[in-house]
Amino acid sequence: MTVDTKSPASSAGPIDRADERLKDESGVSGSIRAFIDRVRSGDLGSLPVIIGLIVISVIFQFINPIFLSANNLVNLLFDCSTIGVISLGIVCVLMLGEIDLSVGSVSGLASALLGVLWVNSGWPLLGAIAMALVAGALIGSIYAFLYNRFGMPSFVSTLAGLLAVLGLQLYLLGSTGSINLPYDSALVSFGQTLVMPDWLSYLLVAAVGIAIFVTRIRTSVRRRGAGLSSSSTGAAVLQAVVITALLALVVIYLNQSRGVPWMFGLFVGLVVLMNYAFTRTQWGRAMTAVGGNREAARRAGINVKRIYASAFVLCATLAAAGGLLAAARLAASSQQAGTGDVNLNAIAAAVIGGTSLFGGRGSAYSALLGIIVIQAIASGLTLLDLSSSLRYMITGGVLAIAVIVDSLARRSRLSHGRA
Amino acid sequence: MAHLTHKVAAEREVVLSLRNISKHFGAVQALTDIELDIHAGEVVALVGDNGAGKSTLVKILAGVHQPSSGTITFEGRPVTLDGPSAALKLGIATVFQDLALCENLDVVANIYLGQELSPLALDEVSMEIRAWTLLRELAARIPSVREPIASLSGGQRQTVAIARSLLLDPKVILLDEPTAALGVAQTAEVLNLIERLRDRDHGVVMISHNMEDVRAVADRIVVLRLGRNNGIFYPEASNQELVSAITGASDNAVSRRASRLASEENQPIPGGQP
Repeated sequence: MTVDTKSPASSAGPIDRADERLKDESGVSGSIRAFIDRVRSGDLGSLPVIIGLIVISVIFQFINPIFLSANNLVNLLFDCSTIGVISLGIVCVLMLGEIDLSVGSVSGLASALLGVLWVNSGWPLLGAIAMALVAGALIGSIYAFLYNRFGMPSFVSTLAGLLAVLGLQLYLLGSTGSINLPYDSALVSFGQTLVMPDWLSYLLVAAVGIAIFVTRIRTSVRRRGAGLSSSSTGAAVLQAVVITALLALVVIYLNQSRGVPWMFGLFVGLVVLMNYAFTRTQWGRAMTAVGGNREAARRAGINVKRIYASAFVLCATLAAAGGLLAAARLAASSQQAGTGDVNLNAIAAAVIGGTSLFGGRGSAYSALLGIIVIQAIASGLTLLDLSSSLRYMITGGVLAIAVIVDSLARRSRLSHGRA
Repeated sequence: MAHLTHKVAAEREVVLSLRNISKHFGAVQALTDIELDIHAGEVVALVGDNGAGKSTLVKILAGVHQPSSGTITFEGRPVTLDGPSAALKLGIATVFQDLALCENLDVVANIYLGQELSPLALDEVSMEIRAWTLLRELAARIPSVREPIASLSGGQRQTVAIARSLLLDPKVILLDEPTAALGVAQTAEVLNLIERLRDRDHGVVMISHNMEDVRAVADRIVVLRLGRNNGIFYPEASNQELVSAITGASDNAVSRRASRLASEENQPIPGGQP
């Protein structure tokens, strides 16, 4: 009769694989099996969005062959970047289970400030941009103050902010109504024409592949050295190669036309930075914890108020940044900037991309994927010469589907013990 | 063994001391003039009926609630515990009754929550190794530390919560019903752990309803009743004494049941099992 002593010496394998109930999920096939298991239990990640994007592309390409043309895709990427940056801020507040309904107004205020300070008052461009970003941060800190001091629900405070900030935008633009930005300025060409040189875009793709490979191998080596299980080299190579190949295909295709917009590069750079902050820093861990269980986070010694403040300030600042990009894209600061569907598109993008409305689950990449879906629908319907009425209805439908998927996946996660 | 150490403990340095601690929630007086001393290298069991104020007292020591009046002294200095981080910084760690874990984070993230290594580039490997070390000390049966807490059972979660409290090597550790959801082996490991902590000169406060566990490890048993101190006992005190202190009378539900059972034993019921 043998007795299972569970002593570390008796198990020759890695210390985190000692439990006999664990399935072996090492190697390439193991990784794929683990992925399928995850999806089946409701941990969908980006899967629904990617499937949705493929469906949308196939439908629109079938109806109008221009849809997937390189030129149209470059335009799409220009358009994505403005609201995408706003949506990135929305991901921050949604991570905490809060909302910011005023991002559209804040972006409009930022564009108005840019026009008034830079064009009308003759400030240097960078000064005007800094001022607009500071204004955004200030608005965010007001929401944070209202939330932390008075416990005012963000839904209400930002709804009030939506109106108040819109009023401020209209006041600033005042009699002129709309301010045209100088067409030959660096900002406007950044928003309308500037693209990366071909060689740089290829270099960046290669850098991404190498970065993925090197970080995965380094983690594996460290884990193995520490006696923990590690993913196989094969899986690391496979992941790096697949991602690099996909990116390279996209970039080669875009370079058939004008190339990769710098503005989109900025947006993706912000997304990658935010993803790092969410997953690899103490701040990101605290954000997830507060979104999951606020009281538990507080008892762990996390300064919960500061986390809320950081999210609101970051969201409003990114909204202002998005407003500046939108002004650059349109070459104007107008009374219409940030109104209409900007607000809802930014929020919808984050949700469609897979960030949960319930807090505690989300990813910076959801802003990127979600906004591409929304802009793809908008672009496809514009190509079909359909009015915005239909565009609103279809985007609304997609948002509804995304929330249903989120709710169902959440239920499935609960029953599979995956929070 | 326990009753030998308590005499030694009385001469040891007082780590944490409460004087006249009161706490009210609105009109409800949850705690009234509580006095409590915790020495280094001593296990204090806090017992009392439901609603006696044990958990409220622990939450005050953990900085979750602030006392309405009274003073707290830590290592001879008066302190104010104005938040959980203040208590953690002093070296008071707590395992809450509701565990206070984040279900959407994995085991490692929960153990290190708020104390992550290298905040700007989390050191996941070192954190994972330390997490395994802590869990192994508790004989935890957790298959993977990279699964979210939501996938763990109640007992596994409790082990994670205890492991987390050990992370910072605290001077005083508060355990609110640490063995309530644990299996036989894990309960024994927690009791072993409590003794190890005491031998390393930590002060331990344990809330438990299980008198057997309390007697096994406690050096002193502090009874609370309806938010007030109701006597200090030593493990050699009889069950009768403890129960009457907890319930507040020698005539109570427990003693009535005991005497009823005793009388039934004397008069076998006709037709009963042989």
